[in-house]
Amino acid sequence: MTRLAVPLLALLVAGPSILAAGPRIDVVIGPDAPRLERFAARELTDQLRKLFDARVQVSEKVPTSAEHLILLGSPATNPAVKEIAGDRWPKLTDQGHLLRSVSQGDRRALLVGGGSPVATLWAVYELGHHFGIRYLLHGDVMPAEKPALKLDGLDRVLEPTLRLRTWRTVNDFAIGPESWGLAEQKRFLGQLAKLKFNRVMLAFYPWQPFVHYEFKGVKKRTAMLWYGWRYRVDGDTPGRAAFRGAKEFENPDFAGKTTYEEKHKAGVALASGIIDAAHDLGMSAGLAISPLEFPREFAAVLPGAKVLKGLEDLTIGPGPKQPPDDPLLRELAATQVRAYLTTYPKVDALYLTLPEFPDWVEHYEKAWQRLDARTGVAKVVDLKQLMESARKRNLIASGERGFQALRGNIAALDFFHTLLADPALLRRPGGNKVEVVIIEVDPALFPVLDKVLPPRAAALHFVDYTARRVTAHADLLGQVPARSVRSSLIFTLADDNVGVLPQLTTSHLHTLVGRLRQHGWEGFSTRYWIPGDLNPAVHYLSRAAFDARVTPQTAYDDLVTPICGEGVVERLVKAFDKIEEATTLIDQNDIGFTFPVPGVVMKHYRAAGPPPAWWKKVRDLYAGAMDEMYRGQQRSHVGPRPFMLYHAKRLEFAVEYLNSIEALRLAGQAKAKGDRAKQLEHLEKAVESMYNALSALGEVARDNSDRGVIAVLNEYGYRPLKAEFEAVEKAARK
Amino acid sequence: MPRIRFLIGLAIALMPALTARVSAEDWPQFRGPNSSGVSTSRGLPTTFSHEDKVLWQATLGDGIGSPVVARGRVFSTAMTGPKKIAVFCHDAATGKEVWKTELDTGILPRITPPNSHASSTPATDGKRVFVYASTIGLLAFDATDGKEVWRLPLPRPAYLMDWGPGCSPIVFRDSVIFCQDDDLSPYVLAVDAATGKQRWRTPRPDVIAGYAIPVLCTAGGRTDLVIAGTGRLKGYDPDTGKERWTCNTLLRTIMTSPVVKDDVIYVAVQSYGDAGRTIKHALLEWLDTNQDGKLSKAEVPREFWDRFDAADKNKDGFLSGDELDTAFQHPSNMAGGGKIIQAVKGGGTGDVTKTHLLWNLTNKAPSDLVSPLVSGTRVFVVKAGGLSSCFDAATGKSLWEKERLRNFGDYYASPVAADGKIFVVGKNGFVIVLEDGPKLKILAHNDMGGEVLATPAIADGRLFIRTREKLYCISNEAK
Repeated sequence: MTRLAVPLLALLVAGPSILAAGPRIDVVIGPDAPRLERFAARELTDQLRKLFDARVQVSEKVPTSAEHLILLGSPATNPAVKEIAGDRWPKLTDQGHLLRSVSQGDRRALLVGGGSPVATLWAVYELGHHFGIRYLLHGDVMPAEKPALKLDGLDRVLEPTLRLRTWRTVNDFAIGPESWGLAEQKRFLGQLAKLKFNRVMLAFYPWQPFVHYEFKGVKKRTAMLWYGWRYRVDGDTPGRAAFRGAKEFENPDFAGKTTYEEKHKAGVALASGIIDAAHDLGMSAGLAISPLEFPREFAAVLPGAKVLKGLEDLTIGPGPKQPPDDPLLRELAATQVRAYLTTYPKVDALYLTLPEFPDWVEHYEKAWQRLDARTGVAKVVDLKQLMESARKRNLIASGERGFQALRGNIAALDFFHTLLADPALLRRPGGNKVEVVIIEVDPALFPVLDKVLPPRAAALHFVDYTARRVTAHADLLGQVPARSVRSSLIFTLADDNVGVLPQLTTSHLHTLVGRLRQHGWEGFSTRYWIPGDLNPAVHYLSRAAFDARVTPQTAYDDLVTPICGEGVVERLVKAFDKIEEATTLIDQNDIGFTFPVPGVVMKHYRAAGPPPAWWKKVRDLYAGAMDEMYRGQQRSHVGPRPFMLYHAKRLEFAVEYLNSIEALRLAGQAKAKGDRAKQLEHLEKAVESMYNALSALGEVARDNSDRGVIAVLNEYGYRPLKAEFEAVEKAARK
Repeated sequence: MPRIRFLIGLAIALMPALTARVSAEDWPQFRGPNSSGVSTSRGLPTTFSHEDKVLWQATLGDGIGSPVVARGRVFSTAMTGPKKIAVFCHDAATGKEVWKTELDTGILPRITPPNSHASSTPATDGKRVFVYASTIGLLAFDATDGKEVWRLPLPRPAYLMDWGPGCSPIVFRDSVIFCQDDDLSPYVLAVDAATGKQRWRTPRPDVIAGYAIPVLCTAGGRTDLVIAGTGRLKGYDPDTGKERWTCNTLLRTIMTSPVVKDDVIYVAVQSYGDAGRTIKHALLEWLDTNQDGKLSKAEVPREFWDRFDAADKNKDGFLSGDELDTAFQHPSNMAGGGKIIQAVKGGGTGDVTKTHLLWNLTNKAPSDLVSPLVSGTRVFVVKAGGLSSCFDAATGKSLWEKERLRNFGDYYASPVAADGKIFVVGKNGFVIVLEDGPKLKILAHNDMGGEVLATPAIADGRLFIRTREKLYCISNEAK
């Protein structure tokens, strides 16, 4: 009995750790380690267990003997690091981090730390990366081969070449993160922290339910997501398996919320949750708002207001004759800004967006004079020359639109100067001021950015819709006085105008990253709607932001080979390149090709002429990429196979989508010729292909953006196609 | 009194035999009696849904194997955990879970969606339930309490393209017969249903991976075990496993099952590509990762490395040219792709290709996945897109071809028939009910709310439909 009891008791006391087959690893943190470093220790423990089946012991004192020893933190947070590192701890910025093997006497250890607690967390993720874990947007993938547990010989010090790495979220459209609930947002944030993003920006629109304010007796009553459009899910919904029985596609945090108050409450909970989650991961958080746009109910208190151009025309803004120094307008805008800052007191930055389609153009000359009076801008640049350059340039906002954009920009910037002059406006309840970032300053103003922006404001630049288009005007980036005005660039990873089809643009991002480094820009902010295709681009950004030697090719290899095994990357690079080529073709030929709005599909029924030749090229590229994904998957280790299958099915979706609209275009032509039999034949093909497209995506849908695509294309594609087919069929029977 | 005692005595004497057999209305294996898909059941509802005419429903877990029914009990399988497979027994009338037996699967093999690790359909003799699980083998459970009676470990099947297993056992007399056509070492075997002891095992080296269920065909007073495989429809002696005949008219990849009506065997199948597309072409398309026109060892799944070495005649570390032709497909059986519907007369000996093929159509109607249905005097087929076709069983004459069922998408489940109706199930979960007649007449589209890959079962006026996660009993008995 005794002989049996002793080992049994030992087993019970030791628990699972004694059962673990792997090595013991000691992790030492400082006794006063900050919260993020303690979190980093938990993350490290989790990774070591998964990688090595290790028995990980976290303690605050260095053990007398240790088989494998990791010291976590910095000399400032962990005395053990200070003692063993001595002068071997390099000078690190608050984002710098290292993996450094050290020894002292016969004691050897690995230092995993950084210049701040969050940098230490990144060092932990860097160690995971070193051992082959790859952090994809939808989860981690472990290395194909179990790595050797080798903690010596490491000496890696990383400092960012782009210090601000912002992930944009919320935004608009059902296909984008506007449809993600907090749980999904947190999952993404968790992965983004591993990819060393350090800010999340919540892009809000005036009609959304994330803020409430009242002005002169008018209460905000508009609270809607994705422009108020609704997407039902019923039996005849191809891809419906992805909705798990739901009757309507919704952001899960808003499900069942019908009143303004309920929606507002849900919105605030969601956005606050995102901000808190970001802070928990060491990221800062910003809100992007449009201070010059208001829900339409505020027209009653803003004489001369104009309904602004936009989907469903949901907002008003100052009309052409509204003076930028109008105190009423300023008060209304200030009310909105204050409401956001009161609702979200923990936010770190406030992004103020200049109108995309400004109508506020009448007062630009006076506005320019006021700007000049403040900063002397007119002494540096001539307004007429600026206007001419805006008209002549080759951006999407050129010609009259460019002219208009610049005039509106000047008026709005003048307004922002006045608005932000109130020292109390940007003060948070705690007394600190939020950082101000101005979005979408017209490129014509880049050379005088420091003279047109409000004092101390940073800038987030847009330039054009796609990375390819921005690259074509990369010389503009050199005109920004980025060393005096902290500047970031919007990196469009996937554009909503190009739409719902798979997109990649890593080669253009690479060019832009190089330019940003060259000109001393602070960083970038992503822009995307569907995250499913973006792992190659996001992985590239994550690595390139800390290493100027990284190229798309090296990043792809670094992403794929450790988790898939040898031989796969060649296929996947071919697939990525084909997707990028298809993205470029769409961008060049029809930038609004699959913009996810009503009519996106049926417009091809009404269009004249046969299917354009470039459609076939795009389809062939997607089909080729799909084949490559399947080849890669066939060869790959099991772990990442679901990710490749996802891509393959996304590409199948794209191929079938293109089949559908091609058939639809042919049906439209047959209709124009009065050939009803052909019209029916093509319509049936169009319906079936759209069905197959959505079914293919439904098989692998893994986030609410994918579900959003299915919901949107059921509403604007499958259903109207089917209705038209049935109507024509019925007419044919008569 | 003596008469009563005699009857009681007779009843007691017959009891074991009765309990060990299934009744005519039962549905004891994939697609019911002899895998025909036809039931004598009556009173089945025409219109129903996952919310209408539901007598009961049960949440099982992921699975695509079909339910089977015997003696008022429904048996089904599902994955109930990452490495757990369960066998369920429900009362057919009430849905009450009579028993559930869970098994550890161990490390599961690679499979390609939408396949599931619970893909095999059980079979039952009423007394025991026979289940195949790829990492465990063949198992028998007591039908009354779910206790394991025996298990027969079997080699894990291997698939060049990672399709994964999907074969199902059948019961013939007191044997359980199981055909496992994989890419590595295909075979058919029979075991004693009571003990699991192997009675015979016949290798099928001339076929590659396929999923046809063995069927029985009695012709001229002799019963043959008929199995469709690469290029060949074969008849075996069900008592010994010895091959009796072969009809060499099939295609490369056979995923559908033949159907027997009287003494004729019907096959309808599509195998991708044209007649020249042997397995080599698929391998060069999908396994040849670097697309250099030959296969290296690293490009072939590890399970096939011995086969690779044997085929690499010049020992250059690659399979190319002639080596590749026959590395994974038997040199005597280089069947390619195509689309066929054919009727083969049962019986015969040796090569019956020229003597027993009654009719053979090269026709776009058949599916690669959905087995044909022979009901009355007609052969009915359906394929992706909801395209249905129907042929006269005696002549192969077309009654209708590729008519739309007005339900797009993929089709995996095979159609079943009873009560003058044909039930066709789309992957999207719609059950289309047709009138079982010489003209296409759609009676209803019924939404089961979720994806369905499993072929429904029919017994005692009830329709059992297994969605990816649930089992529904559809009946007019439902309130």
